[in-house]
Amino acid sequence: MALNIIVCLKQVPNPDLQFQVSGDGKDIKRDALNYKVNGADEYALEEAVRLKEKHGGTVTAVTAGPKRTEQMLREALAKGADKAVRVVFEDPAAVDAFQVAKILAATIAKRPHDVVLTGVQSDDHAYSATGALAAGFLGVPHASVVTRIEVTDGGVKAWRELEGGDQEVVSLALPALLTIQFGINQPRYAPLPAIMKAARQPIEEVTSAALGQASWDAFRGPYSIVVRRMSTPPLKGHAAMIGGSVADQAKAVAVLLREKGFYRGG
Amino acid sequence: MVTNVLAVAEHREGRVVGATYELVAKGRELAAKAGGTLHVALLGHGVGAIAAEIASRGVDVLHVEHAGLAAYTAGGYAQALSGFRPNQNPGVILLAHTTQGYDLAPRLAAEWNAPIVANCTDLFLEGGVLVAHRKILNDKMAIELEVRSEQPYIVTLRPGSVKPAASGGQGSVIRVDVPLDPAKNGRTFLGYEKPQVQDIDIASADIVVSAGRGIQKKENLKVVEEFARALGGVVGASRPLTDLEWLPKTRQVGQSGKTVRPKLYVACGISGAMQHIAGMKDAGLILAVNTDPSAPIFEVAHYGVVANVLEFIPALLKELKGH
Repeated sequence: MALNIIVCLKQVPNPDLQFQVSGDGKDIKRDALNYKVNGADEYALEEAVRLKEKHGGTVTAVTAGPKRTEQMLREALAKGADKAVRVVFEDPAAVDAFQVAKILAATIAKRPHDVVLTGVQSDDHAYSATGALAAGFLGVPHASVVTRIEVTDGGVKAWRELEGGDQEVVSLALPALLTIQFGINQPRYAPLPAIMKAARQPIEEVTSAALGQASWDAFRGPYSIVVRRMSTPPLKGHAAMIGGSVADQAKAVAVLLREKGFYRGG
Repeated sequence: MVTNVLAVAEHREGRVVGATYELVAKGRELAAKAGGTLHVALLGHGVGAIAAEIASRGVDVLHVEHAGLAAYTAGGYAQALSGFRPNQNPGVILLAHTTQGYDLAPRLAAEWNAPIVANCTDLFLEGGVLVAHRKILNDKMAIELEVRSEQPYIVTLRPGSVKPAASGGQGSVIRVDVPLDPAKNGRTFLGYEKPQVQDIDIASADIVVSAGRGIQKKENLKVVEEFARALGGVVGASRPLTDLEWLPKTRQVGQSGKTVRPKLYVACGISGAMQHIAGMKDAGLILAVNTDPSAPIFEVAHYGVVANVLEFIPALLKELKGH
């Protein structure tokens, strides 16, 4: 059966970088950040494309974010998504996963969806909440931390990764939402002709008005959530740092390993 | 303002998951400050012994016994917990930030139209306001959130963030009946799959030398392997390397892999994501080598070397073998 697949993507600040606190103390400095597609979402996209290749259907990549996210959507098109949708939600920090999930759910609800995929967590906020929240708002079953998917008659079988290396196998009725774990596949590189083609493909924009609301505030939950403070965590760091040149460091560590009895050879 | 706290017990295959007792400790502290009470919700089938075990930490257990809860499903648990709301009136629902906790908590938040703050490292109640401490961006930044809600706060607590409640005291076990409709759950548990182990057990080694993304290429594994061999240790890995299949899954150290407590743990080019640290932080001696001086691995390491592992390890081997 051909599947209408929706994959939710997020663009995040590259988490390998260093961050500084912004002037108001409530966010990171964002003027010189380098953004990338969220790590787990790359696997979700690849899985979406593989499901389509196996079963037929379409892949729609959806994000909620500022204009800069168009680059990520074009990458998704180049890697095999058929359509790209940018929800014009401009909040760069988006600390309220509830609101983002509600916006995504409203966007998804308006189009055919058999399988909805998200990454298991975002590299920035690391809530691991948006996928299951969106499933709850859509009223569809979900499974998180998925490492394998098998489409069955009218449903899917999903392998969920648990702690300690065990897996749990569940079946879900379609439509369903799955949050995808790292390592479920090996994401492909986009071929050059596809990148060129994607540069010209249209990106659909969704406004709050298109979802029947005056503003994005209408998607907030009945509560307030604000950032009180952002800071660089004090290093609990009891690591004694071994400085000097690589040769100095090697000498010092060699002495340490011998003293502690971890090296007995030579 | 009085706030009651409900901690959701986690158990699998007849065993209490340790993080449950961390929820008991934190829940007790929150409830005491807010003049409320802490209860533990235990959902399952044939879990009387688990109920008694949790109660022996001096906390009252609300025990729901139902065939539909024999295995965890988000839908089933959410239905059962919704059944608690009228009588218990919880102001805070505490769950562990485990693969079960973060599967369930957001579902609950969506169904209850309630705020969720997941993966917290600490929590406070200031009057009716919830203050949540979290780590973001690879644990490089700390953020404090302030949430004001009339709805219950749904919170997941990162495992290892607080000391678990010790045994002692005797709580009571109270059987609770809640309406459950299994037909409403679109998800069915089919079974567990356990890894077929045909590899060395890194959890039983005295010395583990683990490789991470810092080794850059699969060919460079041999540098780490040579170092491990020189120490008489075994090679472990962080998640990205087993995902790339440079090493088998059996070598993965961390939450979704093995938890190791060797005498010596060497982290080679591993930044120290929370999932990894959960699996090695209790090693006797931790040495970390990483090019990034702000890498979180240096927070748990005893000794740190800021260097490229591909330069440092050969230099170290030369030192060790040259004498």
